[in-house]
Amino acid sequence: MEISWLQAIILGLFACLASMPGLGGTSIGNYTLGRPLIGGLVCGVVLGDVTTGILVGCAMQVVYIALVTPGGTVSADVRAVSYIGIPLAMVALSSYGLSAGSSEGAALATSFGTMVGTLGTVLFYGTATINLVWQHVGWKAVEKRQYKKLYLVDMGLPWISHLICSFIPTMIMCKLGANVVEVIKTALPMDGIAMKTLFTVGALLPCVGIAILLKQIVKGAADFIPFLFGFVLAASMGINLVSATVVAGMFAILIYRIKMLSARKPELAGIADDDEEEI
Amino acid sequence: MEKKLSKKALSKSFHNWYYGHLTCFSQEHMQTFGYLCAMLPLVEELYKDEDEKAKAMNTYTAFFNTEPQLGTVIVGMTAGLEEARANGADDVDDETINSLRAGLMGPVAGIGDSLIVGTVIPILLGIAMGMSTGGSPLGAIFYIIVWNLFAYFGMKFLYFKGYHLGGKAVDFLIGAQGEALRDAVSTLGGIVIGAVAATWVSVQTSLKLLNDAGEPYLVLQDKLNEVFPGLLTAVFIIVCWFLMAKKKLSPIKVMLILVVVAFVGVLVGFFNPGLAY
Repeated sequence: MEISWLQAIILGLFACLASMPGLGGTSIGNYTLGRPLIGGLVCGVVLGDVTTGILVGCAMQVVYIALVTPGGTVSADVRAVSYIGIPLAMVALSSYGLSAGSSEGAALATSFGTMVGTLGTVLFYGTATINLVWQHVGWKAVEKRQYKKLYLVDMGLPWISHLICSFIPTMIMCKLGANVVEVIKTALPMDGIAMKTLFTVGALLPCVGIAILLKQIVKGAADFIPFLFGFVLAASMGINLVSATVVAGMFAILIYRIKMLSARKPELAGIADDDEEEI
Repeated sequence: MEKKLSKKALSKSFHNWYYGHLTCFSQEHMQTFGYLCAMLPLVEELYKDEDEKAKAMNTYTAFFNTEPQLGTVIVGMTAGLEEARANGADDVDDETINSLRAGLMGPVAGIGDSLIVGTVIPILLGIAMGMSTGGSPLGAIFYIIVWNLFAYFGMKFLYFKGYHLGGKAVDFLIGAQGEALRDAVSTLGGIVIGAVAATWVSVQTSLKLLNDAGEPYLVLQDKLNEVFPGLLTAVFIIVCWFLMAKKKLSPIKVMLILVVVAFVGVLVGFFNPGLAY
């Protein structure tokens, strides 16, 4: 599979929109276009193989299912994962002759994407640093009371940061990636230790993604029970995700009702006490 | 005559925030410029005098950062406060507005990160991945539509709730009802994430013990699955959780540890992806 200049340019534009802090805004950019599943759809459409794109996107999505960026610290860059990692993984899969639907294919995609995503944090810090220049322009405008300029500073000038840190790196990496994949392929045979490790890492990495999410929810040992309950629903009982969500929704309603009852209890008790005093 | 913000100005302010809250992000000022752009249409409508305009805009040059979706409620509240200030309310000044902003951005970020980024988005993605099994674009399209409708109308709702109700708008979030809702949603999230993990993550060992005739008499993977289907996957996830939550390691360090684990595992024959040309 070859990536043409035109395809590389389109992917570069999507990288500008999708990054955190991206020019699509966070709702459409980061949280929609930046998610690997959606990136998979976009890359699939651009490269002409939607099925492979979606499969690769799904595999990577698990690793980044909870990409929380508290206080602007990132452990991976979504533009790199979705618009450099996914296209390169697609090229690698076709070059190795692996199906994206197989577990080996998913493992290869995951380790490729994660590697690129981690290196991509450089792009995140690069964009944020260049934006400091525009913000300096912004403060000058506030001082001089030229408030209309703020729109240019907030929504216009950052395009230059993205041209440097999103568009050009993505375009170049996508264009040259196919050659790099070929080099890796000749240097590292598939049955060697290095490739076996790479594939194994690919299978292990999604555990980190799930664990990041669990960190948000689990405070004590008892909080593991809902997680394990969901795990059992799918692993032991073979219930699919949509159905599992319905079951989970049932429990959520029960908990909400119970909590609301116990929250209202002191209120009701208080009213009862007042009544007694009046008597 | 009492000044009243027009629907048009409020709508412009909301859209500036909806789109621009993080477009010019830097580690130093984060959402400050997005906030300035959100307040500008309101300030321009409320004040005709240049000095008054400058005074109002200067209020919002203070640092601001929160979870942007849920944080919309704060922007709405300050819109209401600015309107009150323009009408000469004595108890609204720079300090009240900025202490409100500074006081709320922390708690709202905490709730927003766990509720939206940690629960709503993963649940939607979990369902979407389920629908996209086998490479169908259906799940991705489902996510694009549902998330964006939810985000746009949710943020709009929060903005106008904040504007109309002021301080009362956040009672819902930090009161008993909000707490009950958070508990319910986090349980929902926990169950769905469990199902996502079991469906999409698969850690398997290739360790086999052979008898004299070369027949395997112990296939570890099968034995483990007899105890609890997907046991190895669950154990790896819980170990990763332990390293990050209890040992305070960063995700990147945990990933590096997994690389070492994978390498050693491949060497001793615990892991073997079974590759061949």
